[in-house]
Amino acid sequence: MSDAAHAHDDHGHHAHPTGIMRWLTTTNHKDIGSLYLWFSLIMLFTAGSMALLIRSELFEPGMQLMHPDFFNQLTTMHGLIMIFGVIMPAFTGFANWQVPLMIGAPDMAFPRMNNWSFWLLPVAGIMLLGSFWLPGGAVAGGWTMYPPLFIQGGVSYDLTILAVHIMGLSSIMGSINIITTILNMRAPGLTLMKMPMFVWTWLITAYLLIATMPVLAGAVTMLLTDRNFGTHFFNAAGGGDPVMFQHIFWFFGHPEVYILILPAFGIVSQIIPTFSRKPLFGYASMVYATASIAILSFTVWAHHMFAVGMPVAAQLFFMFSTMLIAVPTGVKVFNWVATMWKGSLTFETPMLFAIAFVCLFTIGGFSGLVLAMAPVDIQLQDTYYVVAHFHYVLVSGALFSIFAGIYYWLPKWTGHMYNETLGKTHFWLSVIGMNIVFFPMHFLGLAGMPRRIPDYALQFTEFNQIATVGAFIFGFSQLIFLVLVLKTIKGGAKASDQVWEGAQGLEWTVPSPAPYHTFETAPVVK
Amino acid sequence: MSGDSIGMADNKQNGKYLTAGILAAIAIGLFLFTLYNGLK
Repeated sequence: MSDAAHAHDDHGHHAHPTGIMRWLTTTNHKDIGSLYLWFSLIMLFTAGSMALLIRSELFEPGMQLMHPDFFNQLTTMHGLIMIFGVIMPAFTGFANWQVPLMIGAPDMAFPRMNNWSFWLLPVAGIMLLGSFWLPGGAVAGGWTMYPPLFIQGGVSYDLTILAVHIMGLSSIMGSINIITTILNMRAPGLTLMKMPMFVWTWLITAYLLIATMPVLAGAVTMLLTDRNFGTHFFNAAGGGDPVMFQHIFWFFGHPEVYILILPAFGIVSQIIPTFSRKPLFGYASMVYATASIAILSFTVWAHHMFAVGMPVAAQLFFMFSTMLIAVPTGVKVFNWVATMWKGSLTFETPMLFAIAFVCLFTIGGFSGLVLAMAPVDIQLQDTYYVVAHFHYVLVSGALFSIFAGIYYWLPKWTGHMYNETLGKTHFWLSVIGMNIVFFPMHFLGLAGMPRRIPDYALQFTEFNQIATVGAFIFGFSQLIFLVLVLKTIKGGAKASDQVWEGAQGLEWTVPSPAPYHTFETAPVVK
Repeated sequence: MSGDSIGMADNKQNGKYLTAGILAAIAIGLFLFTLYNGLK
């Protein structure tokens, strides 16, 4: 009897709990994947509501709706939750659902640790959100947690540091699970260079997480001891160095950007070949480009801190290393376009989101190149140009790829086809709304409007009003997505096993919906 | 699935604790190294 069969026995369906206990105690990768995705969706609406409050305040110059400190709390929590509570859990949800299905494994390597990895997240989420009700309110020092602000705040700052520790622990446990699953549980015959791109991108992302999350944990531990135990790691008054925090933070922070985007590359690399009815162009170069991006991401961190004052040689190094990342990223964009070239294209909702990803993420990439130039960055540092740049990367990049992935795999997960009209309505409102919000921010930034400030000079009014209208279009169009998902779970046209005509891979060989236990006997890949 | 491939799968799955142990050691090592650099 193989270990795969043992694994099935260990967490099988002998006394299957029901109701809330099923979800609290589940060790099934599909259940845990669903939990991650639902958690991410709830957090998306939570942090999205904060964004709408921010945009409402910014509709007109002057203070309208809130105290400036509450505005700072909203910007800080919006960033923290979107990164740690929405994008990262959503991709982990995809990894849980798809990695075992794509490599022919019965489950993750450590199913019980998988359960822990997930259930730590709501604890951290409650700590973060609960801090709004503490004396002094939630953290207001920015998601980057820079000292001296982060050393000076109230009890919510300690709670946030603890929440970051918990989320980091969850990420590290999840990454160990994913790497071990991919390296040790692939079906016979499925060599590394035959793995689907989504699995490759998650393997590399998991290594990035293992290499960076402990560094973040170290940084916030030092913040904690500075705050509570009289140390002076970052306190200039005691001989410490606040700039050292920025170096440590961004050594984590820049690879984190790729943690947020590499799985998106993987999802898009699955979808474009399916709807082009062609194999992915340049598979090997895609793998090497992903690995190159990951390695280079450790050499660029100080481009986030050109304005702190550093030697010209350092500025040049970080400027050129940042520009170098455009090369493997360009390889990827080229390969996606080449995959579509002369393909038999159809434009179902997953493909629409994937194409929007390629176009709009590239805009975010280009504005990143603009910011990579040290003299330009010193002008644009902390302006809305930066806000426009990273929202093109994270909204039309990461978030759109998550939508694309859900539309792509939802029929396999639920056994039902989603409503294509609703899907396309969601797509068009999202893509139009997103551009109305974030494109004018380039102009605002170039004209000098600073970010994270609740008031602004009169000349910025029109573009801010346009952005706010776009934010409400984008925000409320997400309710269509929620309705669509609920309707698809409830019923709809029966999905076939292959679901999409051009779909390739092991996950399409199992029935739709995917049974609770799959690949109890490992398939053999030719 | 042939007997050989079952054997291969067994060996690979037995190695999962080693893989996980190495990864956990790297994570703990990096955490301690970050703190050590802060102390210097």
